[in-house]
Amino acid sequence: MLIQFTLNGRPVSVEAPAHLTLLTVLRDYFHLTGAKEGCSIGECGTCAVLVDGELVNSCLMLAPKVAARTVLTIEGVSPADGSLSDLQEAFIAYGAVQCGFCTPGMVLAGEALLAQTLTPTREQIRTALAGNLCRCTGYQQIVDAIAAAGAQRKEVN
Amino acid sequence: MAGRQFIGKPARRVDAADKVTGRTRYVADYQLPGMLYARCLRSEWPHAVMTHLDVSPALNVPGVAAVITSADFVDDGRFGFPVRDQYILAHERVRHVGEAIAAVAAETPEAAAAGLHAIRCELEPLPAVFESAQALAPDAPQIGPDRSDGRHPNFLHSEIVRLGDPDRALPQCPVVLDAAYSVAQQEHAYLETEGALAIPTPEGGVVVYASNQSPFINREILASVLGLPADRVRVIQAPVGGSFGGKDDLNYQASAQCAALALKSGRPVRMTFPREESMIASYKRDAMHMRVRLGALPNGDLQVCKFTGRLDSGAYASQSVFTSWRAAVHAMGAYRYEHCHVDIDCVYTNNGYAGAFRGFGNTEVCFAIEQAIDEMADALGQDPLAFRLRNCLRLGDETAFGQRLEESVGLAECLEAVRKASGWDEKRAAYARQPAGPIRRGLGVAAVFHGTSLGAEGADYAASTISVAEDYSIALTSGLTDYGTGAATVFTLIAAEELGTRPERIRLLRPDTNTSLESGPTVASRSTMLGGNAARLAAQNLRQMLDFAAASLLNCPQNRLLRVGEAYIGPSEEPATWERIVDHARSLGLILSAHGRWSAPHIHWDSQAGRGSAYIAYHFGAHVAEVTVDMRTGKTDVTGFWAAHDVGATIFPQGAMGQVYGGVAQGLGYALMEEARYEAGYLQATNFDTYLIPTAKDVPDITCILLEKPYSQGPFGAKNVAEPAMVPAAPAICNAIAHATGRRVRDLPANLERVLLGHALSHSDGGLACKIGLARPR
Ligand code: FES
Ligand code: FES
Repeated sequence: MLIQFTLNGRPVSVEAPAHLTLLTVLRDYFHLTGAKEGCSIGECGTCAVLVDGELVNSCLMLAPKVAARTVLTIEGVSPADGSLSDLQEAFIAYGAVQCGFCTPGMVLAGEALLAQTLTPTREQIRTALAGNLCRCTGYQQIVDAIAAAGAQRKEVN
Repeated sequence: MAGRQFIGKPARRVDAADKVTGRTRYVADYQLPGMLYARCLRSEWPHAVMTHLDVSPALNVPGVAAVITSADFVDDGRFGFPVRDQYILAHERVRHVGEAIAAVAAETPEAAAAGLHAIRCELEPLPAVFESAQALAPDAPQIGPDRSDGRHPNFLHSEIVRLGDPDRALPQCPVVLDAAYSVAQQEHAYLETEGALAIPTPEGGVVVYASNQSPFINREILASVLGLPADRVRVIQAPVGGSFGGKDDLNYQASAQCAALALKSGRPVRMTFPREESMIASYKRDAMHMRVRLGALPNGDLQVCKFTGRLDSGAYASQSVFTSWRAAVHAMGAYRYEHCHVDIDCVYTNNGYAGAFRGFGNTEVCFAIEQAIDEMADALGQDPLAFRLRNCLRLGDETAFGQRLEESVGLAECLEAVRKASGWDEKRAAYARQPAGPIRRGLGVAAVFHGTSLGAEGADYAASTISVAEDYSIALTSGLTDYGTGAATVFTLIAAEELGTRPERIRLLRPDTNTSLESGPTVASRSTMLGGNAARLAAQNLRQMLDFAAASLLNCPQNRLLRVGEAYIGPSEEPATWERIVDHARSLGLILSAHGRWSAPHIHWDSQAGRGSAYIAYHFGAHVAEVTVDMRTGKTDVTGFWAAHDVGATIFPQGAMGQVYGGVAQGLGYALMEEARYEAGYLQATNFDTYLIPTAKDVPDITCILLEKPYSQGPFGAKNVAEPAMVPAAPAICNAIAHATGRRVRDLPANLERVLLGHALSHSDGGLACKIGLARPR
């Protein structure tokens, strides 16, 4: 079926079987491989993307569900000039990246939270990350990075 | 550190920008033109003989391009080191559920699955053994290979440590402890599952991209099972989405399966594992049953340790021979004894097999000894932290196996550091007085020592190459893999420091058997010391050429040269840019390319005597955990954590701290929730809905303290950190639970029922719950 939606700021349309997940369509049809398949049952968050600003596990969402909506993947997070977003910079500065497999989902989870509040408590950050597993970092530097990016955005605004 | 530009300063991880933007391409992200998808038929029986295997019907399935069995490999695809007991695809028998039998490559994943269904495979179940205690019974069915020494074929290996005579000394000790402990299998749970991609070359060889740990070992296995000369096999390291010891054997099998299918079909072949298949087929941390007897004097001096352990290696040997050696060497903990015997035996069973996992035997034995030490302190009426300080290894002491510790021993300092940072004395006193009630709080400590690198396990060396490119960037290679640990950044910072150039100028190339130099396996937290020293030597060799060229250009002796940033300054005080020096070196005919190889000092272990020098140096550390236990439910929350580690020297601070945080989190999972339980050989948890690992909400903020007792042979004094960061976390948490509740959990994990009831509920309804679904419907 024909699915039309906004992907990383651009209107797109794709002809794909209706039973495919958003994750499969992103990876196999758009070749956006930043979203990963870690479990395919909605437990790990490596496939996370933002749909209308909300963090969703794309392995559980059927692709037709995004019709006429906006989807943001990790590939659409950085500014157009190819530089890094402040949150991405914070991930690097705070050492929040190890193997990197969870990182796209973690950055998007951070963006979803910071869209709601720029001054989350560490507890709030941990709750916001609860659906995103990381086996490498113990989460601490990811929490640090999100808190720092929020504080910096707050200062700028 | 004085005078250092980059070492120990905050740095950017070299591969981080690609990772935060999603540009890093893992094996599953590769899509090549004409690429086929591969999948394995896997055993649904824990032990069976193959009575019939006919793969030809698979070739009639539309889309199937090739199918292979053990017959497609040299010597039936047998491999393994040090015990050659495993096959790329099962040969005549299967020994565990999930063992690969045949592999299919097809145009689509669906066609590959259909191909598997068409394979005719008949398995006749054999009697099986699942309890390591029964593996050596005279009538136990044979799982291991034939032995020539008359021992039971299910006996795999044993290791000992010997000091004095504990059997005579123990009864004479005024205070004696005798307790049994056990740990379950643990799943690595790297978020990226296994995978490999093989591309046939026009010369009849193959290029393999794999998320393995050690590309050179992969190449060696590939060349041998494919019957190809080594120069026809090239292994390129793909980015690894987490490993922790877990990306060895199974990835080598997947690599060989893809390679054989690629050679047969003449097309690229990729195999990536769904999570369930990864969990069922992959090796685990070994389960171990342990008994600890300790003897002490009433004043608190430890005298005797007698430690026995039985390690379940599962269906294959994999790394268990080495695991049991590391377990034996560390089993008595970082303490002084007059008498100490350790006996670690490992046996075959029909459970999924055990292999390398962070800590490699030490994680298992540390759980037992560090709780036993706590129980002994209790029996003596002493504070457990003070008791450790009284008995712990210090500079100049001799270990129980007879190695004098001559430098870089920071254990007492680590214990003091966590004591202070955690507020140990006040909290222990306060919690001892806490009113009775359903919510109990407790504080526990555990210590660790951990030999760096391979030690007497094997030849210990690493190599690096370095060269200046046309655009003045510097290309650095290492034969060791960075599977997320930050080793690539460590090598880069070390080379930058030696050369006096910005780290941004250096590009660390991915390990590739055609371009990097063989460096042994990437295991045992050996990257920083071994790989770091190799990078340092390579950079020094390059620097000598550049210094020579600078002296020539600036017309002065080398000892008159100064550096300002990257530039060189001679007596005329006119700075010459680094680029000018490079140009001048080239005009002198110098080839700006060098390499470095570092071998660890030789040490000797006498395995018959159970004595010797086990490792060139030891990492030391101490953890304190604070817990809250709800006595109504048994639920344990870790509310605080303090970790102090003597790392020798810190090279990449964010990286070292990240290793500590991540290690503590894995130890927390091991302590409280992770159990890869086999029921009659069937794994009971096969995805993250049932195999729970810690989330951001389960892990508290951790205070990490890095102490630096430099090791003279380490690069800039550095030792290791990745493994020992995990090792003492679980016993620290269980010691805190005991402090909070007065109950000892001697079997891991300390889940609700064990904390509440003191034992696990029976799971007899679990049965064959393993969601196998791997091959075909029965
Ligand atoms: S792959 Fe979607 S949540 Fe794990
Ligand atoms: S960095 Fe490896 S899973 Fe998060």
